[in-house]
Amino acid sequence: MKTIEDIPDRQLLLFKSCMVGQEYPGVETSTRYVFDRLGVDYCINDEQSCCTGIGHYTDIFEGLTTTAIAARNFAVAKRCGYPNITCLCSTCYAINKEACEVLNTNTEIREKVNSIFREQGLEDLVYEKDDMNVRTNFYHAVEILLSKANKIQEQKKFDFSGVKVAAHHACHYYKVKYLDVLGNPENPQLIDTIAAACGADMVRWYEDRTLTCGMGFSQLHLNKNTSLQVTKKKLDSLQKAGVELMIHMCPNCHIQYDRYQPVIEKEFGVKYDMVHMNIAQFVALSMGADPYKVCGFQTHSVPLEGFLEKYCQ
Amino acid sequence: MMPYVNEYDTPECKTLAETAKKSIRTPDSLGLDRCIQCGACTASCPAARFTDYSPRHIVKKVLEDDRSVLESEMIWSCFYCYSCNLRCPRNNSPVTIVQVLRQMAINEGIGVEKLAYFLEIGEYLAENGASKIPGPGVKNMERDLGEHWIKFKKNLESIRVELGLSSRDIRNTHGEVQAILEGTGYFEREKWLKAKIQEKRLHQLLKNQCVKKEDKSGDFSFENDRGYTGQAALII
Ligand code: SF4
Ligand code: SF4
Repeated sequence: MKTIEDIPDRQLLLFKSCMVGQEYPGVETSTRYVFDRLGVDYCINDEQSCCTGIGHYTDIFEGLTTTAIAARNFAVAKRCGYPNITCLCSTCYAINKEACEVLNTNTEIREKVNSIFREQGLEDLVYEKDDMNVRTNFYHAVEILLSKANKIQEQKKFDFSGVKVAAHHACHYYKVKYLDVLGNPENPQLIDTIAAACGADMVRWYEDRTLTCGMGFSQLHLNKNTSLQVTKKKLDSLQKAGVELMIHMCPNCHIQYDRYQPVIEKEFGVKYDMVHMNIAQFVALSMGADPYKVCGFQTHSVPLEGFLEKYCQ
Repeated sequence: MMPYVNEYDTPECKTLAETAKKSIRTPDSLGLDRCIQCGACTASCPAARFTDYSPRHIVKKVLEDDRSVLESEMIWSCFYCYSCNLRCPRNNSPVTIVQVLRQMAINEGIGVEKLAYFLEIGEYLAENGASKIPGPGVKNMERDLGEHWIKFKKNLESIRVELGLSSRDIRNTHGEVQAILEGTGYFEREKWLKAKIQEKRLHQLLKNQCVKKEDKSGDFSFENDRGYTGQAALII
């Protein structure tokens, strides 16, 4: 198990996420805003590529391709001196961690990947066993925020007390490498603890708290009906619990809840009262960041104006 | 067409269970043989809740070496949410086994038409170092999400600039990602997939002209599979 003391705040490579970049760029800028104010030492490197997660989990990329792309990104991280890969997306986190494990434990695949690098004239990407450590080189940005919860509490400008908030933790953060979760993987509380530091009134248990968001990679596209039924189940539970704000930690969940809430309302003839944010957006907002120039709320489908007027005046 | 064997995801072994255990997709510690058919996976499974899919049953089929599982629509219902992976008391991992089964099915050309939807992800990654929602997905999202999203997508570049980011999220990979995809054989497999999809479409077209569509949903010896045809894929 990871412990809070293990979480670094130096040499973090803030790992760019494709879905954040294209759908909710404010998640990246909010994370940077908060990291800057918390004195976290991080860098962003344009040479880092997509983790392949979207293609890997739609069955397009095979394991060898995914592992080789990950090895390249590890070389990028090490080369720039920021080897602590810190992800905005839970799938990037899981893919990188799994690929590192394969590279360290499976000699045949490590050698195959390295022989591909050599054949392609990419010798500087060659991965030596234990170049990266599965346990100590991979983080999700939410873990960094949690390790700084006290500082966040000191620096907050708005107090969200009285706002009913619920968390959705990302499946690929706590169900893939479940032994490496901060806290109990059966009941993760990372987002709850951080949001509570911002004063939010957390609804700790609601029905279906651990149910997946419903995106399911190919499922949203190929089995849309089931995909939206899963999402609806979750939104129904939140509505029943009187939640006003749902906070998540992964752009895929974010798309599913924020983009598809209006679609579900239309297709199923229901109405929901909650709005959505990533935890970094929420923390940035509570520290006084501009809702549009930093948090990027104009990219959301469920409008946040009402929420902002009510609580951030 | 010859099957395309993808040796790390689906190493050729005598049984389904051996292939699953040896695959790069499953953990070394995979507790497949330790499965006690307790059903904790199915009880946690979102797909099982809303369809007839059952990870416990898939695992049983694998242990029985029943290859008809490869032809079942069921294996295409998994969300890859890993709830089963977390909850299994025997360190088994139905989710990664299903990933291997899908790859085995793909090798034989089963279900490849579903991949058509996502195939451009590879080329886009090679060119830009990033992934994107594939074209057919964008079309469906435009239809579902309407004006608001279409307008946002049009303004994305200026919004990114306003946020202090580069106008487009393009990575500087010096052609290395392209070279890696060539080296791992990704493009070769993609070519095979495209040809196979084409072949299947042609075949389907001819079949539709000659005979009435037969119902191929049952008879895969799944208790619950009879009549379950999966859901119609969205338009591509
Ligand atoms: S939870 Fe594990 S042991 Fe139980 S049926 Fe599923 S795979 Fe088998
Ligand atoms: S990963 Fe698949 S089989 Fe496992 S619980 Fe999720 S949907 Fe069910």
